[in-house]
Amino acid sequence: MDPLLIPQPDTIPVSWGWFQFLLLLTFPLHLLAMNAMIGGLLIGLVQHVRGGTVRKQLAHRIAIALPLVIAFVVNFGVAPLLFLQVLYGQFVYSSSVLMGSFWLLIVPVLIIAYYGAYLYDFKFRALRGFGPVLGIFVLLLLLLIGFFFSNNMLLMSLPERFTDYFSVKNGTLLVHNEVEFWPRYLHMMCGAIAIGGLFVGLLGKFKKDDNPALAAHSENIGIITFNLFTLVNICIGFWYFLSLPEVQRKVLMGGSIPATAMFAIALLLITGMLFTGLKKQFWLTFSHAVGLVFVMTFMRSWVRSSYLEEFFTLDTLQVIPEYSPMLFFFVTLLAGVACMAWLLKQTYEAMD
Amino acid sequence: MNYPVWYLPETGGGFLIALIAILHVFVSHFAVGGGLYLIYSEKKGLREKSEAILDFTKRHARFFLLITMVFGSITGVGIWFIIALVNPAATSYLIHSFVFGWAAEWVLFVVEIAAAFIYFYMFGRMDSATHILVGWVYFIAAWLSLLLINGIIGAMLTPGVWAENMSFWAGFFNPSFFPSLFFRTFIAIMIAACYGYFSASLTKDQDVREEMTRFSAKWALAALILAIPSGIWYVSVLPEPAQALVMGKSPTVSSVVPWGLGGTVVLTIIMLGAGIFRADRNLKPVAFITLLCGLAIIGSFEWIREAARRPYVINEVLYSNSIYKADVEQINSSGYLKEALWIENKELTPENRLNAGEELFIQQCYACHTLRGGNNDIASLTEKMSHNALTKYIGRIHEVRYFMPPFAGTEKEAAALAAYIIGGVHGKDVVVADSAPPSGENVGQSLFEDHCSACHAPEDLKDAVAGQGGPELVQMLKTLDELSDEMEPFGGTDTEAGELAAYLEKLNRGGE
Repeated sequence: MDPLLIPQPDTIPVSWGWFQFLLLLTFPLHLLAMNAMIGGLLIGLVQHVRGGTVRKQLAHRIAIALPLVIAFVVNFGVAPLLFLQVLYGQFVYSSSVLMGSFWLLIVPVLIIAYYGAYLYDFKFRALRGFGPVLGIFVLLLLLLIGFFFSNNMLLMSLPERFTDYFSVKNGTLLVHNEVEFWPRYLHMMCGAIAIGGLFVGLLGKFKKDDNPALAAHSENIGIITFNLFTLVNICIGFWYFLSLPEVQRKVLMGGSIPATAMFAIALLLITGMLFTGLKKQFWLTFSHAVGLVFVMTFMRSWVRSSYLEEFFTLDTLQVIPEYSPMLFFFVTLLAGVACMAWLLKQTYEAMD
Repeated sequence: MNYPVWYLPETGGGFLIALIAILHVFVSHFAVGGGLYLIYSEKKGLREKSEAILDFTKRHARFFLLITMVFGSITGVGIWFIIALVNPAATSYLIHSFVFGWAAEWVLFVVEIAAAFIYFYMFGRMDSATHILVGWVYFIAAWLSLLLINGIIGAMLTPGVWAENMSFWAGFFNPSFFPSLFFRTFIAIMIAACYGYFSASLTKDQDVREEMTRFSAKWALAALILAIPSGIWYVSVLPEPAQALVMGKSPTVSSVVPWGLGGTVVLTIIMLGAGIFRADRNLKPVAFITLLCGLAIIGSFEWIREAARRPYVINEVLYSNSIYKADVEQINSSGYLKEALWIENKELTPENRLNAGEELFIQQCYACHTLRGGNNDIASLTEKMSHNALTKYIGRIHEVRYFMPPFAGTEKEAAALAAYIIGGVHGKDVVVADSAPPSGENVGQSLFEDHCSACHAPEDLKDAVAGQGGPELVQMLKTLDELSDEMEPFGGTDTEAGELAAYLEKLNRGGE
């Protein structure tokens, strides 16, 4: 272990707490969109392959939504990556370089997947049997991107692996051989399928009076998928928990009061979510799940801080105060939210 | 020096940045100008009550969505990825300095996505006035995005007082902010017109094809004409060294100027000949050429803008090889290997000299030079140099070629770097020069290595000096600037000029 291989961080303009707040606010939005993308596409493909009128209608509706969902996955990923770089730049820039070849590969892979999603949408009927094949191809590419992200997010937390650079300078270092990698990745992806089920249920509710059969089928399939994959994910989550180093496990088991409290809230939400899910109470399940994604994000943040505590804590970041740009950002954010509200209102009225 | 270097010797990070950046800006400027184009194309259709023009606008909106939302937005993320991989120190500096500028740009990106999707999917399903307003929301968000990014990347080229006080607003409203904003806005409209011209060429309805071809050509020519004064304004606010590089002192700039000028001329000819006057000549291959012209214009502009920052990546702050200007003095005194973080050979020894030299190459040269690759290949650039000549050249590298950063490190480290290139790359014997001052016949050779070897190998000059005697050669050395803009008159004493002339005279007699 060579702690000296950690670059000097740059200064920040406002207290680190603001960036942590913005990171924890925006990252769950990215996760929710990513879940809708992965889970929604998988369910759509299963529906497409199984066939039948309603199932194909659902698959088509998911295909239509997919490009828009991908656009928001990317967009909602930008903000947390920005704030992550501000808080942990010295780690995440280094880890990105160490796996640079794979990290950059995300760009062409995503472009291909994105165009594939558009093709699947625009030519849904014309593609006939090739449609699901194309959809599976897109799904595999998206899962590959998730694999690269999981590698980078784990590698940035393991600065003791940074010395591997001297034997791998071409950016091909991956950490999937670390004990916590696979449970971490599978926990994220399995959760995505579960939450994706709720997205599918939500999608079916859109203009449900026009097609009540589709709405009922979407909600049913969505909540069944959610229940099934949540149960599987509880097992994977337990595996992930056991795979964590002892120090990080202890953080969630009393070592840190707020982290432990979050863990307890997460367990309560999971219990409530399963209860409402099994009773097929859609909106209650949905609200529990959204809350859980936020809580899981907070826990994840504590675990990361714990991984890096030996080398760095956020309060050591030097602040050179300049608050007016932050004010400018908040004003822009408010204006942006107002614009979005106006756009959605006009669209809703036009469709009505 | 603070971050690891992603080392792909034959490829080079600079090439990857250029590839992604040029393709991205070609689409991202379309994403800005295209919004305005769509609004006025739709308004034209409504004003003329032409369903055919409205159909064209909708088809173009679909094309616009597919190009900008997928390729444009993902390559935008791609630029962020690649600059962070190739120059993490500069990226970190920019991200930390302008984080709320980037964050505000993200908000505008959200609005752009929503408005673009609504504009396309609600075409014909929303009342026209509201639909046009959605188009305006898109365009304003996209143009404000351009404004924000323009402010941030402008600070890299013309930092002004930001380089000293680090104030967000001082950096944002840097000296090139307004000229660059105007220039980019007109270029964005010009590129949007090229894409519109291309869309028109794909239209089957002959009347609409010609109508929208003329419409696009007028936009392209007007934007080109307006871009010229803003471009001149832009160059006029550059710092003097950057102006000199743009005006021909940089070989990197010189190599792309013909592309930019050629693209402009060809585009003007096409837009006049196969646009305004004979719109029926807008055939698919011709329209494709206009896209290539647009790519050449924006590509050469971005290339020149990047090259004009040299030897810095952030002007006056951070050199291209990620060394802070403020740190060079300290590094020169204590040694780069000791000061830098991601270095395996922290102490230079005779045994590890080649390995340490390779690390110095990776850290200080690889930012701009590949090793046996296409872009500034270090092997071909140094193949005729001796170890001694290269060592001396490295010591004066910034002085000889302003656009290259100074070597940061001790003399022994410069010699180790030269040893790696001469011994490790070329496989030649590394002959270390006698540390005693040159005497006798060696004086001329030493002067040659000091003053000429950066650009010339002795054997290359045989023809140039053939038949000339000592006095003529001395005279030539004193007026080298008359031979080429890239050379300066020999700066040594008369005696030294005589020694160097004598050495050159001997080249054709096998006495080098």
